[in-house]
Amino acid sequence: MPTEPIAPAPPGAAAITLAGVGYAPPGHPPILAGIDWTVPAGAFHALLGRSGCGKTTLLKLTAGLLPPGTGTVCLEGRAPQGPAEGVGFVFQTPTLLDWSTALENVLLPLSLRRGPRRGGRDRALALLDGLGLGSLAGRYPRQLSGGQQARVAIARALVDSPRVLLLDEPFSSLDALTREALQEDLAALCARDGVTALLVTHDIAEAVFLADRVVLMAAGRITGEVTVDLPHPRPPGIRYDPGFNARCRVLREALDRA
Amino acid sequence: MIHRLTHLLLLVALLGGWELACRLVPLPELVLPRPGRVAAVLAEELAGGRLLRHMAVTAGEMVMGLAAGAAFALPVGALLAESPALRRLAHPYLVASQVVPKLALAPLFLLWFGFGMRSIIVITALVCFFPLLENTVTGLGRVDASRLELFRMLRANRWQTLLRLRLPTGLPVILAGFRVAVVLALVGAVVGEFIMGREGLGAAVMAAQGMMDTALMFALLLAIAALGSAAYQGALLAERLILSERFDS
Ligand SMILES: Nc1ncnc2c1ncn2[C@@H]1O[C@H](COP(=O)(O)OP(=O)(O)O)[C@@H](O)[C@H]1O
Ligand SMILES: [Mg+2]
Repeated sequence: MPTEPIAPAPPGAAAITLAGVGYAPPGHPPILAGIDWTVPAGAFHALLGRSGCGKTTLLKLTAGLLPPGTGTVCLEGRAPQGPAEGVGFVFQTPTLLDWSTALENVLLPLSLRRGPRRGGRDRALALLDGLGLGSLAGRYPRQLSGGQQARVAIARALVDSPRVLLLDEPFSSLDALTREALQEDLAALCARDGVTALLVTHDIAEAVFLADRVVLMAAGRITGEVTVDLPHPRPPGIRYDPGFNARCRVLREALDRA
Repeated sequence: MIHRLTHLLLLVALLGGWELACRLVPLPELVLPRPGRVAAVLAEELAGGRLLRHMAVTAGEMVMGLAAGAAFALPVGALLAESPALRRLAHPYLVASQVVPKLALAPLFLLWFGFGMRSIIVITALVCFFPLLENTVTGLGRVDASRLELFRMLRANRWQTLLRLRLPTGLPVILAGFRVAVVLALVGAVVGEFIMGREGLGAAVMAAQGMMDTALMFALLLAIAALGSAAYQGALLAERLILSERFDS
């Protein structure tokens, strides 16, 4: 289902708009109901909620991997049928191709795409380099640690220069140190390219560190929204700042109320 | 090294036991020839070039039968893997054709394709077809939902998904099907030759039986075993080369 290329939205315009979105798997009660949400172009939003509350389902609806049962999903002003061009997705598990090297995995989106793709190899290598995998580009996934595989998956989602990036708990299986390092890399990459990002997480500190705005979800509904008014770029040390912790507490209490 | 030595010792013991048994219990040569006699016939047949020609004919039928079987099994398997509806539709027919012994169709093929190599190749192809089909459908269907979702997200079309995702995922299973099919191809070719061969190892076994030359039959059976082992080892080697380090798990 090819859709025409979408012109980049001007900054401040809505990149993602969900209006009255609901979803029920065939023969099951609804998982999501009445979701209204707008992510401006270039913004970084986080979706925070307990596991099982419908976060993955909402992200897949946004990506066009699932058709909404009710309401509409708009990406950059259009309501595409199926996955749209210019959208990158990082799945909850790395889902790399075992028979391809790290570099080949990163290049997959370009090699599947028809049309021009000059300089793809250089860009892929630069992304791997930026994520600290420059020397491991020739390795197969089984020769990489979980954290390294997660980095390859992020590089793969970024290689085709997406304007919108959707991430489903991309760091949830990693140790705390690796997770924080990857959060910093992700923030830098998104800021540099002006990418609109929507991050699903159940980690409160991760949401506060990365997001401009955090949407809280419980049992398939949005239960609150909190703006994180910390300046960008956020240095790693900000995690020990009293202001940072105060915002984590606010989110924690909001989650408990929901 | 120790391993090889053990193998060799076992072989010598078996042959020695066979020779000894023949000397102690004087069986008529028609029933069980001595190994020395079989070896002599084997050497004679090899030197005369007859044995090698029969082996070449049988090997040729195996290769052509396998190729023909694969030429049908792989595309049909891909089609069935792609379409669950088609799979459901074809399933009863596939089961029915599985349970019919393929060799029971020999008289029919004799009628359709004539006496000789063409019919034997058709039988061989048919015998190879089912394991190849089964493993192709299983292999191509083995891909997990999350990788299919990835390809959907990357807007890959069906053809790309088949070639770049389903095929590499299923390759080990499909190649295992080939390994099975190679051995079955030998069965198909030899038994086909029993029924309607002018040349080849199976035809030669029937001829030897007609001449009541049991030693020659034993020599031919050894040649069949050698051909089968070589084919199996060849398939294993090809499998290892194709899978190489990319698919090393
Ligand atoms: N295909 C499906 N059929 C039935 N129930 C589903 C299906 N997919 C998800 N669910 C249910 O919907 C809820 C939300 O799932 P999910 O979106 O994966 O949650 P989260 O990502 O927040 O952990 C869960 O309770 C899950 O059991
Ligand atoms: Mg989830």
